[in-house]
Amino acid sequence: MIYLDNSATTRVLPEAADAACRAMTEQFYNPASAYQPAVATEKAVEEARARLSSALGFTTEELLYTSGGTESNNMAILGSLKPKRGKRRILTTLGEHPSVYEVFRSLENEAETEVVFIGLNADGTANLEQLAALLTADTALVSLMHVNNEVGAVNDLASAAALIRRLSPDALLHSDGVQAFCKRPFARPPVDLYSISAHKFHAPKGIGALYVRNGFKFAGGQIGGGQERNLRSGTSNVPGILGLDAALAVYRSNQERWIAQMRTCKEKLAKNLLSIPDAVINGPAPEEGAPHILSVSFPGVRGEVLVNALSEREICVSTGSACSTHKKGQNRILTAMGVAGVRAEGTLRFSFCPFNTPEEIDTVSGILSEQVAFLRRFRRR
Amino acid sequence: MEPVLLVRYAEIHLKGLNRPYFERSLMKRIELALRPLRVKVVREQGRVFVFGLPESAIGESAQKLTRVFGIHSVSPALAVEKEWEAIECAAKSLVAARIAGLDQASFKVTARRADKRFPMRSQEICRLLGGRLLEAFPALRVDVHQPDFYVGVEIRQDQAFLFAEELLGVGGMPVGSNGHAMLLISGGIDSPVAGYMIAKRGVSISAVHFYSYPYTSERAREKVADLTHILAGFAGEITLYLVPFTEIQLAIYEKCPQSETTVLMRRLMMKISERIALSCGAQALITGESIGQVASQTIESLTVTNDAVTLPVFRPLIGFDKEEIVEYAQRIGSYDTSILPFEDCCTVFVPQHPVTKPKLEDLRRSEALVDFAPMIERAIAQTEIRAVD
Repeated sequence: MIYLDNSATTRVLPEAADAACRAMTEQFYNPASAYQPAVATEKAVEEARARLSSALGFTTEELLYTSGGTESNNMAILGSLKPKRGKRRILTTLGEHPSVYEVFRSLENEAETEVVFIGLNADGTANLEQLAALLTADTALVSLMHVNNEVGAVNDLASAAALIRRLSPDALLHSDGVQAFCKRPFARPPVDLYSISAHKFHAPKGIGALYVRNGFKFAGGQIGGGQERNLRSGTSNVPGILGLDAALAVYRSNQERWIAQMRTCKEKLAKNLLSIPDAVINGPAPEEGAPHILSVSFPGVRGEVLVNALSEREICVSTGSACSTHKKGQNRILTAMGVAGVRAEGTLRFSFCPFNTPEEIDTVSGILSEQVAFLRRFRRR
Repeated sequence: MEPVLLVRYAEIHLKGLNRPYFERSLMKRIELALRPLRVKVVREQGRVFVFGLPESAIGESAQKLTRVFGIHSVSPALAVEKEWEAIECAAKSLVAARIAGLDQASFKVTARRADKRFPMRSQEICRLLGGRLLEAFPALRVDVHQPDFYVGVEIRQDQAFLFAEELLGVGGMPVGSNGHAMLLISGGIDSPVAGYMIAKRGVSISAVHFYSYPYTSERAREKVADLTHILAGFAGEITLYLVPFTEIQLAIYEKCPQSETTVLMRRLMMKISERIALSCGAQALITGESIGQVASQTIESLTVTNDAVTLPVFRPLIGFDKEEIVEYAQRIGSYDTSILPFEDCCTVFVPQHPVTKPKLEDLRRSEALVDFAPMIERAIAQTEIRAVD
């Protein structure tokens, strides 16, 4: 089995699985309880929170644990808009994950809220000129993903933040960092809200985090027992939190080497696949962009058919976001990049992890070029 | 007082000398539908009674039986001694449960005296029981024309049965009482409905599905298994044959006239289905075709498809509009699965301009362009067989 769908999810590291397992069978206490083992559990959770915060230069009070990327994105948008009253504009891009895009769509029905979508450049990055033109004094929120999940384009958050400071000083900037965290050097992102999901970096599913900068009103998410500074109630997911912490520790001590390894695989695959006639890369050039996502089109073959053909040979790839495979119709992100027709239909997304090898890449390239050649004999007439 | 289910059957009561055969089929279906519970099913003069159910399982079991073909209706009932006090007591407990939470309700009593030795006549039973219930429940009033509910009393040979609720069943004939047929199931809206209609007539069903990996996905295959499962909820266990069809499809694409690809494909599917049908004792094929719905379902196309086989082909939807089929699919619960967006056949193989009035001689000639026989053998040899219930 060759797994090249690490943007959908990743295999949990043994260290992370062990940590989660111990938190379920040994340190299983509710951190909010009063007795000694519970206090020790709370301490372990807070130490983990401190390590996660410090990885990105946040303070511990600014970091909330959530159930994952979708909850973080939902909470970031809805929680920051709720305390604000009056007419306002909110902006996001056509390249966002559904957990941002669909939340903005749902706000289109609100009378006082004007929802505006920013287009993408041909390489999949957000069109910042358009952003500059659309920022107004009454703009309340901008959501701009850090790394695009389908083509690996990296948005320039610093430039966007500077534009916002100048043109819409009251606006908050949220960034969906789900595909960026751990895959880019650890540095404080210049934003007010930032979403993280653990299962994208070899930690368990069902745990994520949201950074909420100190200094503005934020409504938070679910209501209940007052956990997470009363912003996100619910018994702490201790196995998830400690699993995330363990995965992060391993990633931090290997990050440079691991990023290089993914980049090597990506560039090698890109080079190999470009020898297939008419194959074309979507998004940034392979040596640019995120190290772990590569989108390639093979005009004349449908992406789904290639996915099935590779699956039969025990290779896992996808046509795009796993969150979109149950929906019909055109790919929104590729369309916004100006990729259409047979090229869009023939798109595969490969996403790497540090454990992919150049040998795997050669195997995949060989099978793909053979399959593309065979399947192209049967084009739609 | 024992909780039982009283089952009225549908068309079986029209049967003459062979009625016991159909009744036995129905009793077997009832036993199967209520598994893993072990029940005692008894027939008596136009009724079937189910004994041995724990009280907590009565409601759910009654619901299950409304999906069994051959049943007109089901009533959760109480079986009591044929003595007045027992009858009155059971009636009161049923009514108390029936009107719980209501300020008022109208009712009437109906009685059948199958055991003529019972000292009261049906009319007397109705009058006396109705009076007693009115006394006991001030919220009740009598309405003999359109009551909110009725209390039924049936005096049988050994016991009396009382009920206050009648759930309508799906009708039809018990599955297995009318032979066995092979359904061609695609993953679309029509074929599960076609299978349902034939199963309703008492025919036990097997199903065959053709898939074209990699043009169709693993998920499309699982969707067909899900649809078969929904159908099995009515028709009992179904053997599903999953036939790999890619090699034949590619050969048609490369070697045969483009406009004829769909009709040729259907002829070959029919041939393989017939082979599998004969090997498992099925006596007919079932398809979801309806006249003129698509190019391959014109009278000319159906003629050409029919010519590929000698078994009878049942097309229960032949005169249905799409809208009517959709309505039916919604009723049997297959619609939401059918419309999941996993392609059952790749658009690669759908010609831009399919022939709508194919001629049999032309099609036979085109089919002879390729030696399909060894491919058919391979497809059958590689067929995966699954039991779906």
